[in-house]
Amino acid sequence: MKLLILDSSSKAASAAVCEDGHLLGESYTNAGKTHSATLLPMAEALLHNCSVPLGELDALAVTVGPGSFTGLRIGMAAIKGMALARDLPCIPLSTLEGLACNLLGFDGLICPVLDARVSQVYTALFRCQNGTLTRLAEDCAISIQELKQLLDTYPDERKILVGDGANLCYNSFNSRPENLSVAPEHLLYQHAGAMASLAWQKARAGENVSADEIVPAYLRLPQAERELKLKMQKGE
Amino acid sequence: MQRFITSSAAETEQLASRLAQTLQAGDIIAFVGGMGMGKTCFTHGLAAGLGIDPGEVSSPTFALVNEYRGGRLPLFHFDMYRVESFDGLYSTGFFDYLDMGGVVAVEWSENIHGALPQEVIRVTFERLGDTQRRIAIEGRVLP
Ligand SMILES: Nc1ncnc2c1ncn2[C@@H]1O[C@H](COP(=O)(O)OP(=O)(O)OP(=O)(O)O)[C@@H](O)[C@H]1O
Ligand SMILES: [Mg+2]
Repeated sequence: MKLLILDSSSKAASAAVCEDGHLLGESYTNAGKTHSATLLPMAEALLHNCSVPLGELDALAVTVGPGSFTGLRIGMAAIKGMALARDLPCIPLSTLEGLACNLLGFDGLICPVLDARVSQVYTALFRCQNGTLTRLAEDCAISIQELKQLLDTYPDERKILVGDGANLCYNSFNSRPENLSVAPEHLLYQHAGAMASLAWQKARAGENVSADEIVPAYLRLPQAERELKLKMQKGE
Repeated sequence: MQRFITSSAAETEQLASRLAQTLQAGDIIAFVGGMGMGKTCFTHGLAAGLGIDPGEVSSPTFALVNEYRGGRLPLFHFDMYRVESFDGLYSTGFFDYLDMGGVVAVEWSENIHGALPQEVIRVTFERLGDTQRRIAIEGRVLP
């Protein structure tokens, strides 16, 4: 089974092609370019370099959130266009689960974190053992302090932060949770290549949907909601 | 904080053009002040100061954001008048624009106060008369 995986959920963009569990090729850029201009040419060049014509693909995977409003839409639009043209099934991936896959060799807790601004993060928590992820916390939007409380409930386990909010959290925890580290730069951001086995597992498990069922995964930020407007205005 | 008094729309535009000379990629200008104070007028001056055709500038009340290019830096012009919630703000793409290497100017920034970074340039308008405005600029010093 051949899959194309695309991610443009944050500042980096990447594409990967895999055949079953085998990664045939990947492409990654984090140069601050507009995804609308780079993602499709990147996918085309990658397919060409892997000698996989579009017609040989069996399914298309894409990260559907959380992430940047514009970035997610660019990735989903690209996948929808290809899926509709070729009548291919689509596999929606959680950006956070996909991020956790960067560290599949790690034994301990993997905590993906994306900066949602205003001291909030999109996060989740996984335990990784022998290359297998077990989910401990659902994708959610919480404050950095709440994330610290979550991590503090696992004092004895090794924990690693990954994602564009990793350093932000690591540096803003007032007392640092024990046994905590941050992923190195080359593993810090989303990589479609790392998501290949996840996408393949989901495809085999029949977790695919049609192109029009690909929708962004929204996570509300309840705390930010309360504090959005300038207080003065409230009395109006 | 610096305070200025302008006596016409043209003077407000000139003041904005002076501010434009100091702008760098990533700067955010948050306007504070009610209806008809001169925020769109000020944005005309910012565009002119950045070398953008000010004729391109129009109020983004319905579009939520207008993009002006062709100058020293791109200018992203938001109107948050209709933004009611954090989700609504996220859906304008506001957070994506902060990383796009341009200048972001925000009308009705009162509505997204809690989502603004600390280091904004705040421009506050006060009406002194039909054609007079007191304009306070915080977070950037005009030469
Ligand atoms: N000193 C001044 N500076 C700026 N505008 C002035 C001044 N004196 C009079 N005006 C007039 O005030 C009006 C300001 O309109 P403008 O659209 O810029 O306001 P705004 O703050 O953007 O309003 P809104 O909240 O509706 O978007 C214009 O008609 C302008 O000619
Ligand atoms: Mg206006």
